[in-house]
Amino acid sequence: MHTRTMLILLGLALLAALPLIATSYYLYLVELAMINVIVAIGLNLLSGNCGQISLCNASFMGIGAYCTALCTTRLGLPVLIALPSGAMTSALLGAALGYPARRLSGLYLALTTLGFLELVGVVIEEFPEITGGIRGLKVPRPEMFGYSFQSNVSLYFFVLVLTMGAITVGYNIQRSRYGRAFDAVRQSPFAAQALGIPVARIKVIAFSLNAGFAGFAGGLLASVVGFIDPPEFGILTSIQHITFIVVGGLGSVAGSIAGAVLLTALPEVLRGVQEYSELIYGLILLGTLMFLPQGLVGVVAKFDGLRSAKPPAKEPAYGAP
Amino acid sequence: MTSRIILQLALSGLSIGSIYALVGLALVLPFKASGIVNFAQGEIVTFGAYLALILTGLGLPYLAVVPLVLIGAAAFGTVIERLLIRPIVHQPEFTLVIVTFAIGFIIKSAIRLHWQDNTFSIEAPFVGPPLVLGELRLNPAYLVYIATTVLVVVALLFFFGHSKFGKAMRATAIDPIAAKLMGVRIGSVFSAAWALSTMLGASVGLLLAPVIGINPEIGHLILKGLVAAVIGGFTSLGGALAGGLLLGLLETYAGAFFGATFKNLVPFGVLILLLLLRPQGLAGASSVRRV
Repeated sequence: MHTRTMLILLGLALLAALPLIATSYYLYLVELAMINVIVAIGLNLLSGNCGQISLCNASFMGIGAYCTALCTTRLGLPVLIALPSGAMTSALLGAALGYPARRLSGLYLALTTLGFLELVGVVIEEFPEITGGIRGLKVPRPEMFGYSFQSNVSLYFFVLVLTMGAITVGYNIQRSRYGRAFDAVRQSPFAAQALGIPVARIKVIAFSLNAGFAGFAGGLLASVVGFIDPPEFGILTSIQHITFIVVGGLGSVAGSIAGAVLLTALPEVLRGVQEYSELIYGLILLGTLMFLPQGLVGVVAKFDGLRSAKPPAKEPAYGAP
Repeated sequence: MTSRIILQLALSGLSIGSIYALVGLALVLPFKASGIVNFAQGEIVTFGAYLALILTGLGLPYLAVVPLVLIGAAAFGTVIERLLIRPIVHQPEFTLVIVTFAIGFIIKSAIRLHWQDNTFSIEAPFVGPPLVLGELRLNPAYLVYIATTVLVVVALLFFFGHSKFGKAMRATAIDPIAAKLMGVRIGSVFSAAWALSTMLGASVGLLLAPVIGINPEIGHLILKGLVAAVIGGFTSLGGALAGGLLLGLLETYAGAFFGATFKNLVPFGVLILLLLLRPQGLAGASSVRRV
């Protein structure tokens, strides 16, 4: 059998067996890591493959989280409807932001998304009768078909199954013609246009997909944590998401997974020196960008000539012909 | 609504606007020189405030602290530019944006490690009871803000218009390669642009610290500076000044007439609308690279 298939099966078996040995706290951590994996995969499609900067990923996560939470608490919808509606709302708003932003690049896109991030934060805080404002919102455990995921193990499997689904979808999107179009748009928008790729539409699709993934993850986050409030979806979280994909490797699903898992585990590893963890996070981000621009995936590829997604060492600057 | 209140609001709008304008100027300078927006500029403001806190802690008076902080900030800016920015200057914009963000994040977390989230205050000669002038009440700090900004803009205009080095910086901004061929040391120009911009940032910290107190969140101000710079088109110093003042006025009047919710929405609403409809800024010389 293929080494990679073996590795994936081994990983799945380990994850499935985890509830036998892990305490509920570690299960919770693994759930958070899986949610971050979903976010990272979505963001990597937009930033890593399509080359667009987004500083408002946390907002899309927040939109998904609030929408899912409100659908379950206010409308009493089951989670199988609430989660997709959160993801869909987020994806629609992603398209709404992506549509006017499709002609902006680099710096101006960073500014637009930063403005959007702040706007969403202010809106959540200023309408407390709907969103709970700065006091946050309590979210019940998810429910479907009359079954409520009250036990930690059942919730763990719920998240596990959905995460595997999201990874599969992300991986397939990346290898579809859309994924290849994303890569083409990043490497040279002009060449892509010349080859008949509708650059503007592809960017809107990338924005929307990313927002969908982030919104889905946000809905899961709300269900798993049981509580959401605005600071959770600020610029820090956006930077954290970017760190996942930069450290893991831009444009690679394996990189998204590795980055999200390692960096979610990092605060645990640093438990003795908790107060340094933010600083270390920043240093890791800076150090990776300066010395390992291809992330962990690049390091692995260098060591054993793996044929995984490996972007060329030198890329043209954004928009350069 | 009497004309007295309108005037009073205009004054506070202009004073807060001049702070935004200074941050905007600090963002525009290195962008003009090297095409990089320093998203760590907010934390440079914080850095200036905390450096002032350390120095006043040593027993120095405010007026002695000011030049020391400015020198410290210039050195800090030069070091950042030489060590961190120059090696990656040819990387894609994604890397540049995230690297400056990471620098700001590191500064902020380092500050928070040492001082936690406490708010400190320092004394300054311009904090005191309001001056009464006819029907108007003038906060002395407001006057200092406006005066400083006017002074800075005049100094910058003189520097870029008349000094040799200022002209070299302008030449580099227009065409780095041609400037290099004409004998301009563009490396020093980049460093100087960063040093100038961090000095501006730190001066904002110096101005704000005595009035609103010192805490790690001061850096959030960068958003207002970005909006100011965007209104001005991101490439012109005068534009950033006008943008800052305009934003300050808009915010103050919106707050007074429509309440705090609306006031908080104004800057980001303006930012997004402008970027989407008129990315070259209100004044207009378009240099936005569209793809």
